[in-house]
Amino acid sequence: MNPTSPPPATRRSARRLWLWGLLATPLLLLLLVGAGVASFFYLGSDARALRNGLMKSSGVEWRQRIALNAGRLTLGAVRAGLSCARLDPGARAAVQSVRSAEVGVYQLASGTPSPDRVAMLAAADSAMTIRGWERVVGVMDGHDLVAVYLPEKNISAHYLKCCVLVLDGKEMVLVSVQGNPEPLLKYAFDQAGLDAQARSLAQR
Amino acid sequence: MKTMLRYPLAVAALVAGASFNVLAGLPAGQVDFGKFTPPGDGGQFVEIQINSNLLSLAAQVVEKQQPEAAKLLHGVQLVHVNVVGLTDENRAEMTKRVRQIRHDLDAQGWDHNVVVQGKDGQDVGIYTKTRGGEALAGLAITVIDAKDQVVLINIVGDIRPEQVAALGEKLDIKPLKDIGAALKDTASKDAAPKEETPKEAAPEN
Repeated sequence: MNPTSPPPATRRSARRLWLWGLLATPLLLLLLVGAGVASFFYLGSDARALRNGLMKSSGVEWRQRIALNAGRLTLGAVRAGLSCARLDPGARAAVQSVRSAEVGVYQLASGTPSPDRVAMLAAADSAMTIRGWERVVGVMDGHDLVAVYLPEKNISAHYLKCCVLVLDGKEMVLVSVQGNPEPLLKYAFDQAGLDAQARSLAQR
Repeated sequence: MKTMLRYPLAVAALVAGASFNVLAGLPAGQVDFGKFTPPGDGGQFVEIQINSNLLSLAAQVVEKQQPEAAKLLHGVQLVHVNVVGLTDENRAEMTKRVRQIRHDLDAQGWDHNVVVQGKDGQDVGIYTKTRGGEALAGLAITVIDAKDQVVLINIVGDIRPEQVAALGEKLDIKPLKDIGAALKDTASKDAAPKEETPKEAAPEN
């Protein structure tokens, strides 16, 4: 009798385990790919909290037109893919700056009355403040509403997170961007005459 | 009865203590304008609050290209701008509120530097708070434009009224640019001979 060979029952169960593994691996891979693909169409938690707060407080019905989420991995791959391509310097600076981006576009159902912008801004403020963001800009004029949120802490010229809300009365756009603003800012300052242009615009 | 009184008194003491801490926590040049409700019928409402985090980022960005601008930005801790459009519903309340803010600033020992009362109902007040009698700790500007809007600006840090326009340009804040330009105009008119001054400029009592 060979003492090292396992009994036939053990061999059978090991074979069954292998079989299950072989069957489960493609399923798991499929699930992972599915989740990865689905994540492109779901906003991140901060943008989602902002959107939910806005929609709930607006008192009207919204229809989602699009929601896109490009994370670090996707944009990293895009950056690597475009590293050899010939690009406009501005576009290259933008690609280098943005690390992740989320965009959501929502539209009012036809015949819906104007949303309550005052309540929307208040709800957006409370949703974001809880999550450690603060509103740096809030503008209301006519039917328009614009709000810009930045994190209360951890911002620098090398790392910046920003959440922007734009409502033009019928359409609402939410943008959340994370990245290193340095390349984009460097490009902006390298542009000859940009400062002078900005000054002349400011004089108007 | 004593027990019934004890709890509300304890809560009141805690609330008072907390409020005192909040007030005590404000930097010397900071003004709490309070919360403003946007006018309901599509009127204008602008609120900008840029704190030291963002100002320091802006300073870092412009440091190499514009060292003077970076120096200006480094001296500022907070920029707060409120613009509230006036409507028939809120005109009286907003005007009263701004006058109360001015009264409070006077009471808190802010220097009342300039008051311009224009013919078109514009009423501009500029207040400064000094630190140790020399350096500026803060600047507060209140504008009542009876026809259109009320503007409230608070800049915390070492900045003089004549630098407001430059700061507005660097941060691209239109109300700051406008007020800065108006201040420059006022300063140049004050410097000119009196017969050439078209605007009525008198200190408010």
